[in-house]
Amino acid sequence: MSSDKSNLPPHVPAEKHQRAEQAGANDESIQKVHAILLREKSEPSEGFTPMPLFLLGFISAMIFVCSVYVVHYRGDFDPLVYDERFDAEAAKSAASGPKELTPEQILASGKRLYQTCAACHQATGLGVAGVYPPLAASEWVTGSEERLIRVLIHGLGGPIQVKGNTYNGAMPAFGKIPGGGYNWSEEKIAHVLSYIRHDWGNDASFITKEKVTEVLKAEGGRAKAWTQDELAPFAQ
Amino acid sequence: MASSLTASLNPASSPDMAKRAELSAIDASTRAPALYFLGSSVLWLLVGTLFALIASYKLHTPEFLGDVEWLTFGRARTLHLNAVIYGWASNAAFAVALWLMARLARAELRHVGLLFIAAAFWNLGVTVGMVGIAIGDSTSIEWLEFPTYATPILFVAYALVGAWAMITFRFGRAKHIYVSQWYLLAALFWFPWLYSVAQIMLLFEPTRGTVQGLVNWWFAHNVLGLWFTPIGLAAIYYFLPKVLGKPVHSYYLSVLGFWSLAIFYNWAGVHHLIGGPVPVWVQTAGIAASFMMVVPVIVTGLNQHLTLVGAAAALKYSPTLRFIVFGGVNYTLTSIAGSLMAMRSWAEITHFTHYTVAHAHHGMYAFFTMVMFGSVYYILPRILLKEWPSAKLISLHFWATAGGITLYVIAMSVAGIAQGLAMNTLPAGADGQPGSPVAFMVIVADMIKYLEIRTIAGVIISIGHIAFAVNFTWMLVQPRKAGATEPTLFRNAPDLEAAR
Repeated sequence: MSSDKSNLPPHVPAEKHQRAEQAGANDESIQKVHAILLREKSEPSEGFTPMPLFLLGFISAMIFVCSVYVVHYRGDFDPLVYDERFDAEAAKSAASGPKELTPEQILASGKRLYQTCAACHQATGLGVAGVYPPLAASEWVTGSEERLIRVLIHGLGGPIQVKGNTYNGAMPAFGKIPGGGYNWSEEKIAHVLSYIRHDWGNDASFITKEKVTEVLKAEGGRAKAWTQDELAPFAQ
Repeated sequence: MASSLTASLNPASSPDMAKRAELSAIDASTRAPALYFLGSSVLWLLVGTLFALIASYKLHTPEFLGDVEWLTFGRARTLHLNAVIYGWASNAAFAVALWLMARLARAELRHVGLLFIAAAFWNLGVTVGMVGIAIGDSTSIEWLEFPTYATPILFVAYALVGAWAMITFRFGRAKHIYVSQWYLLAALFWFPWLYSVAQIMLLFEPTRGTVQGLVNWWFAHNVLGLWFTPIGLAAIYYFLPKVLGKPVHSYYLSVLGFWSLAIFYNWAGVHHLIGGPVPVWVQTAGIAASFMMVVPVIVTGLNQHLTLVGAAAALKYSPTLRFIVFGGVNYTLTSIAGSLMAMRSWAEITHFTHYTVAHAHHGMYAFFTMVMFGSVYYILPRILLKEWPSAKLISLHFWATAGGITLYVIAMSVAGIAQGLAMNTLPAGADGQPGSPVAFMVIVADMIKYLEIRTIAGVIISIGHIAFAVNFTWMLVQPRKAGATEPTLFRNAPDLEAAR
């Protein structure tokens, strides 16, 4: 160790110098004071064992895996992307073309909207006897699209026969009509109607947004709620 | 072997007597500042332990001290955190860093009076900060809760310590820079960088929006990884070969471990924000860096393990070695666990649960604090030229802290996983999957048993701390025995030269 020698006076041979040190340190009192230092092992040094080869493989594998991970979940390095599933291609095509919802998405959206309806017609779709008619297995729900859409857009007043029982409640208007309280979009109406036609054992066709728009146009500026008799022509 | 045998029988015949005399002078120069830092660190350890027990007890028995304003949970927990981080751990780190730096650079500390002032300022700063939190002035930013009027005091103190370590290095006679010194030098630069950037960006000129969260976790994670971890590793790299009298296994592994830590750690903090409102590429970079942290951890662990191999019997005798090895093993374990926690699928379960608490204590206590205990057991006899008064107390200290923290980490990890799984159970049909959601209050009630185990673990750890503090104080006040030259070991070592 060259650093050891640098500590010695230059012209004294190393062995002689050490003997001189020993003579002094052999003094008993100094020995006792320095006992703690004397018994400790020499200052740590470094071995130079070569790196095991498997480490090289391991580190390379880690770098490879992490690089793939970063590329896969990079989110296009866009500061506005917060979801690791982001796919630049899919985002582009989604932004350009009109959005097509899957049937599951339509039903999920309709179910969310139905929370408003459930206040009267109940989450079970069974309604309340004498006041709010059931939707489950109801001929009004699974039957004519034209009639059902009109009920939702403009509302319905007065007595109504459903599954042989009479109900007398007031269905509010949900469509975009003069004085309407809810002003739901045609899409929302299509979703919630598609939903009620598919839950509780009902199994009728989906109602499209276009169909709702068509009915809304056909009725023009109608603001009044329907009665059972007025709806009779649309029963088919 | 023959020469080492004669050397052990008659120390004066040892060939490196000149070096030993030099070490004696160096140790003497570090005595006053190291004692100041170590003494205050032990006091803060006791304070931090007390607040830890209060906070832990409150979690399962909320009425306990519920009407004492400055001991509400929010303050007691914060006081615990800051007492142990800035009071205990940083004070101990300063003492160990200065002592190691002086020894390894082969330079006496100069003008130690200024270091004395630094120690006084640091402890004044911590005291002001603690009182500030207790009276309700916390900044409410995790790991940086000290009110802004305490920070400048800490900064002055730190600047003096950092500068002194640099000066000691600069005036050193050693030609070779030992691996411990790399870590010390790096940590001494990294800490002021982290602390000042975080202070400026969060408290003095706050950034806006989610950048605050990013800066906060960058700081809070790096203060572990780029301040406490390097100091702890520096101590392991010194004491392990020192006590065993063997060289460190491989210089090449040391280099690789150091630089991979330096490159990757800085990114890892973002994994605390997985799923949060932070651009996804930043999260991904943080996760990838957390995975890459496996490299320095494996490399460093391997290097230290291969140094110990063949000499593990010394664990029976040497208190220093036992604490250091416990800390080293837990460094590997907690780091691997940390990398796993960065995985998105695992974070979904463990994030925001007791698991994170277990992990923080695993790193900060089972690794760093245990290494500091081991270092103190080695350093103190050398600067005081006295022996530890009681081997039984050291033994009690080791078993209580090692057992307590093991129980703690296991209990909180299990709690965290159970909590995370229960909270992730979705309401029926929310995503088309059947499930039975667990009511939040049911989860809260389920956690109580784990929190009680935590308090028990805390009490066990506290017993260890009291044993340590008693032994420490006893050592300070006992007179130096003229004839005593035997080290205080757990049992008599067969090898006469067995160091502490």
